[in-house]
Amino acid sequence: MDNKRRRLLQALGGTGVAAAASPFLSFPAIAQNTPLRVGIIAPKAGIAGTVGECGLRGTLWATERINAEGGIAGRKVELVIEEETNPKDSIERLRKLVLQDKVDCVQGIVSSGVSLAMGAVAEEMKATLIFWDGTTQDGVKETMEKPRYVFRSTDNECEAVMASLLCVKYWKGQFTRVAGINPDYSYGRNNFAAFQALLKKFGVQFEVVAEQWPKVGTLDLTSHVAALKAAKPDLVFSSLLFADLPVFMKTAHGAGLMDGKTKFAFPAAGFQHTGLKKEFTPEGMIFGHNTLYFAKENPSPLQKAFVDHYADKYKDYPHWEADRAYFAMQVYKAGVEKAQKAKNAWPSQNDIIDAMEGIEVTSLGGPGKMRKDHIAEQTFYQGLTTHKNKYDFATLGRVDTMFSDQLQKPQGTDFWKWIETANIKL
Amino acid sequence: MTAFLDVLIGGVFHASVLFLVAAGLQLVFGVQRIVNLACGSFYALGAYFGITAVNTAIAAGVPPWSFILVLILSGILLAAIGPVIELVLRTVYKRDEAFQLLLTFAFVLMFQDVLRFFWGANPQTLGNLSMSYGKVTLGEVSFPTYNVLVIAASIGIALALGWFLQRTRYGRILRATAENRDMAAALGANVRWINASVFTLGTLLGTVGGALVVPTSAASLDMPVELVVEAFAVVVIGGLGSMRGALVGALIVGLVRAWAITKYAELEVLAIYLVVIVVLVARPAGLFGKPIE
Repeated sequence: MDNKRRRLLQALGGTGVAAAASPFLSFPAIAQNTPLRVGIIAPKAGIAGTVGECGLRGTLWATERINAEGGIAGRKVELVIEEETNPKDSIERLRKLVLQDKVDCVQGIVSSGVSLAMGAVAEEMKATLIFWDGTTQDGVKETMEKPRYVFRSTDNECEAVMASLLCVKYWKGQFTRVAGINPDYSYGRNNFAAFQALLKKFGVQFEVVAEQWPKVGTLDLTSHVAALKAAKPDLVFSSLLFADLPVFMKTAHGAGLMDGKTKFAFPAAGFQHTGLKKEFTPEGMIFGHNTLYFAKENPSPLQKAFVDHYADKYKDYPHWEADRAYFAMQVYKAGVEKAQKAKNAWPSQNDIIDAMEGIEVTSLGGPGKMRKDHIAEQTFYQGLTTHKNKYDFATLGRVDTMFSDQLQKPQGTDFWKWIETANIKL
Repeated sequence: MTAFLDVLIGGVFHASVLFLVAAGLQLVFGVQRIVNLACGSFYALGAYFGITAVNTAIAAGVPPWSFILVLILSGILLAAIGPVIELVLRTVYKRDEAFQLLLTFAFVLMFQDVLRFFWGANPQTLGNLSMSYGKVTLGEVSFPTYNVLVIAASIGIALALGWFLQRTRYGRILRATAENRDMAAALGANVRWINASVFTLGTLLGTVGGALVVPTSAASLDMPVELVVEAFAVVVIGGLGSMRGALVGALIVGLVRAWAITKYAELEVLAIYLVVIVVLVARPAGLFGKPIE
């Protein structure tokens, strides 16, 4: 069955359900006639394939629940899914979604490189676009100061800020020789720089004894680990992610880097949490799970339902990208419904955008909001690893929770100046 | 001294895997005159298939210590795709090199989808199986025994290849075909069979290489491209078509990379290609290649 036919049938199905429910709904006629179309652009292959896959699962779950509860303001949600690849091709897919598929909103994007290029195009096309991840920033420098149509995720550096704060909180006075192994692009570079800036802010005396910058996707890290080991660090800060992290962990374990008293902080460990097996992942490391920690004690009913569904259906445990995707859909849903209620008619795109500004929603990982400057605020989870669990991989023993207003710069400020001047509590 | 040993072992380990893939590339080019970009895909296939084979074997009750044998066997089994690919390659043997490159690149893209179809987009690992043989400790230096076994396996394969090409009748026929294909055919060599067997052997080197490296690493959809880039540096340094060149080139690339990572981490790739440029200027045919006429 070709895509057009499938979409037509889905639309017809949605219309039928809406029509059946019409006596109970008070939305205007147009709202009940056509599904609300949401375009999704997410990576399905390559380094970020695993991330995109988890995000898509979050979106599918959110959509199923929304449709089961009557849709967004009475309109069923229909997804049109496209693949995120390089910036040029991904932008072409954005154009296709907007111009050809006539979607009402686009969500997704994991790569900062893609979002940076796509943000400007979405503004030009006047396409409502909510990013899951990545940012529309050039590193930590804001490139879209007053976007109208683009809504972006929390700063990528939030997890580095939080991991740095935890290093100070747990280990101040226990380390002076610091080493870093971080991916060689703006994310890794900024994270390591932010770590050092925060150590300075909190008066930690330290010396950088080694810096390693493997490119993303490096699967032989033997020589990098040898270089770290030779530097004899007290603390290794690493924002490695994707498959690189389990490989690093295994290699470091095999080379004896983890045998001594060296401490480790991995702000982005959550992306690969199920791959970080107990055999080579010691306890007591700082792990970042970003905006969703799947094994949180006393989870909300929403998180519990999602994690149970995910484990049951995919035989796996979700990471934060599922939460980002869920959050994006909830922000859009809340915005549409708020605008619809205020207008008592189907809202225009501008009405919806106005409504999304400052809106608060509950996401899988906890409370979140969309700031008036179109930047997300969410709840972050990090802590110290433990083996005391029912899984074959490390989870968090002690969990620290912070809201991102403590971790990301306010509107219009410089990231580095914000670190110097912010009143950050440990 | 400790740091030197750490770097040396890291470099030799990387070189040993690189050698297997580059050797396959050299063999295929030497005899068939085809630059096979798909060698990286065979390496990735070997890695993914090795994971499945080991997991299946362990689930079936095979003792975990024997996983290295399972990996080698899985690599050998997987080489059965070689003759199938070679059948397709026959259509471009006499065509321009650009067609050959395009076709082998098409295989790279197709295999990426094959990997995604069977194993998904998530990187796959074998957990901590590589540590089941323990560690070798020399003073403050320690490294997994498995890494030593991989290096030993690579040396063993290099020696076996050398013996096969230099000392056996079939090896002599292969070398004669590489030297002058038409003359070998005129003297009765079955060139079609030679092409199929050489390509299968080249495939086998890649699949076994991928299978052997995966316990220390991970299988991911991007691994073919990353490796091919380095394998070509090995080939240029060693000389296109030379097995001895593959060995020396792999060692040079592995050690230069390890040294650069330790001293100037940002210059990892640049350092390798500086060597490539120096070799290209000083000896355009590579260290062991035939002079370009």
